[in-house]
Amino acid sequence: MSLVLDSLVKRFGQITALDGISFEVEQGQVFGFLGANGAGKTTTMRIVLDILRPDSGTVTWNGTPTTDVPRRTWGYLPEERGLYPRLEVLEQLVFFASLYAIPRRDAAARARDWLARFRIPEYEKRRAEELSKGNQQKVQLIAAMLHEPDVLIMDEPFVGLDPVNVALLKEAFGEMRKRGKTLVFSTHQMEMVEELCEAVALIDRGRLVLGGPILDVKRSSGRQVVRLGVEGDTELPWLADLEGVSIVRSGEDYTELDVRGRDPQDILGAALARGERVTQFLIADPSIEQIFIERVGRPPSEDQHLASAGAAGGRGGDGVAAAAGSAEAAR
Amino acid sequence: MSPSLVATLRNIMAVARREFLWRGRTRTFKATTVLLVVVGVGLALAPVIIRFIDRGSTGDRIEVVVGDSSPAVDVPIALNLLLNAPIPGLPTDGETTTAYRVEATADIEAARARVVDGSTSALLVLDRTSAGDLAFTLYSKDTFLSRTTQLVRQAASSIAIQDRLTRAGIPPIDQAALFAPPDFDVLAADPDAVTDGPQTGEEFASTFAISFVLSILLFMAIILYGQWVAFSVAEEKNSRVMEVVLAAATPFQLMAGKVVGVGGLALVQYIVVLVPSAAALIFQDRIAAFVLGGSGGVALPEGISIGLLVVFGLMFVLGFALYAVLYAGAASLVSRQEDVNQIVAPLTIISVGGYLVASYAGTGLIPIDSPLVVVLSFIPFFSPYLMLTRMGLGTAGPAEIAIAIALLAAFIPVALWLAARLYRSGVLMYGQSPTPRTLWRALRAR
Repeated sequence: MSLVLDSLVKRFGQITALDGISFEVEQGQVFGFLGANGAGKTTTMRIVLDILRPDSGTVTWNGTPTTDVPRRTWGYLPEERGLYPRLEVLEQLVFFASLYAIPRRDAAARARDWLARFRIPEYEKRRAEELSKGNQQKVQLIAAMLHEPDVLIMDEPFVGLDPVNVALLKEAFGEMRKRGKTLVFSTHQMEMVEELCEAVALIDRGRLVLGGPILDVKRSSGRQVVRLGVEGDTELPWLADLEGVSIVRSGEDYTELDVRGRDPQDILGAALARGERVTQFLIADPSIEQIFIERVGRPPSEDQHLASAGAAGGRGGDGVAAAAGSAEAAR
Repeated sequence: MSPSLVATLRNIMAVARREFLWRGRTRTFKATTVLLVVVGVGLALAPVIIRFIDRGSTGDRIEVVVGDSSPAVDVPIALNLLLNAPIPGLPTDGETTTAYRVEATADIEAARARVVDGSTSALLVLDRTSAGDLAFTLYSKDTFLSRTTQLVRQAASSIAIQDRLTRAGIPPIDQAALFAPPDFDVLAADPDAVTDGPQTGEEFASTFAISFVLSILLFMAIILYGQWVAFSVAEEKNSRVMEVVLAAATPFQLMAGKVVGVGGLALVQYIVVLVPSAAALIFQDRIAAFVLGGSGGVALPEGISIGLLVVFGLMFVLGFALYAVLYAGAASLVSRQEDVNQIVAPLTIISVGGYLVASYAGTGLIPIDSPLVVVLSFIPFFSPYLMLTRMGLGTAGPAEIAIAIALLAAFIPVALWLAARLYRSGVLMYGQSPTPRTLWRALRAR
């Protein structure tokens, strides 16, 4: 029971948009689909939905080719949001539902229910063009979910929502998941991926860079992040003697280290051996954000240099905090 | 894609329903419908309206100055007879033709002044040449080619002939009998030719008018409603709602739904306009009797047959479907509404071409049986216009009409296939300029 993409190739004229993309999404999973702008995410989603046809390769859902899967299996939130500007919200939703064979009365009831949950019941009779962008997006989301699809495919569902609505959407995600629905979404907000996704696929320039359960992805990088705090020393010059350890960032009360090819415990051992008083010691997997930047953002050769790692900036630091949290949760 | 037939029909109806209801509720639609009803009824009642306006007048006045030419006939009486005689090719109802009133006068200058101020239509002055023949001078504000001028000229010839005969010694006879037009029928030379066409000038005139009106209606429907379809496609693309709909329905379903929805609305508008117009046409004698007094009957106008109306209905539906489907396919290639007219221009030109050839053939500028007209009357894009015209003029047999309809119907799936293909690749293309190259690329895309 899964969604399987196998060796998808798609060309637009001279440009190869997808160059052999393969990955698998288990049923009931929350799946993050990551990649830089223009990596081929939208094209892949359109192929899964049979809006576009691949030049070669197949997509199957539970073994059935996607071209033969009933349309109501899918719910889709496209990247370019689109509603009929001059149509009333409720009518709009009932129309979309009618394309999935939902009776009109039933669709209207469900739509009202969702509008209430997203706290916009008063917009039922408004025309879509009168709504703010965030509210239009909520209507769009309802349109994608109204027919209770087995698989929800969403391109950037969180963009343009305020924190309250982001929370509402996450809540809805949780509920869908409880009901056994499969959720696939793309996002550039890596903390969302850390928080929500069980598995990810990362694509770059039409190729799959890495994919699988999120912990495997993190471990596959072959490195770990260590946060070390030592009383009275913020420089930690002695770390330079340890092979495979580099300083990512120096802070007030701790230093962030990148460790590859050796046991992070060695660092603790070395500190204790030197007689340092250790105030903090934390081992975590690298954050998805760090992996993303590492695999997509710049050539691997730059990775070793401390300077460029520092230039990647505060964003990396935030990522570690989140990564530490999720690593703890996993234990 | 192999969605079940039920799902396909359901989605087509869902799309059509939205299109129909939404478009039907717009103010533009309501306004054009009201306007068209007013125009349609107005046109249908035009003869009654004209008679109502003219009811006080006794026709155009033509003044005659005989002077000292002393013609052998009583010119005012003869002219009156000749001008008001039935004219082949025009309706002969004495009440609807422009009647002329001929009066004798003596003062040329005063009569000329009356022509200038409009109280008299024309002034005819007689004279004699040195050879003794009658000479005529017409003072008029009309051109040489105007109907009145030509009628007066013909009448003058008849009067001159009678005058010459009298001078040659042949005594004048009863003038009314003399100037009465003879029976004059036009029949097909080929005895096997279709014979259900119009036989007399009168029948010809009314059938001509009917097929002319029907092809105008067809032309307007194709251009107007075809553009509705095109704009609707561009609108969905522009608001990016297309992608949401495409996740639920196939391009074919979306396109077919649009054509059905707009077509249904077009039909509704047509019926709303045609029913009162047709009623006005059928009951115009009654209406005339009510407004003007006298008695009137109820009848279909001459030249309209049930067969012609059925063929018109078929051509209307099929012709619209063909053009609308291609309009939709073409419009899917552009992303801005401003570009729609540009991309559908070739189709519009084809449509205008068919209409022009049909109306030229109808008026006789192109012979109705010329190979061009006959061949085009079978080609799907042109057959709605030309077969209708040929049928109206009685030069197409039932077999020919059936073949043209069958060809048109058979071509629609081809157009659907082509348009769905354009649509599939076109609807997700943004920022393309509408060039033939775009079209070619879209057709070749998978």
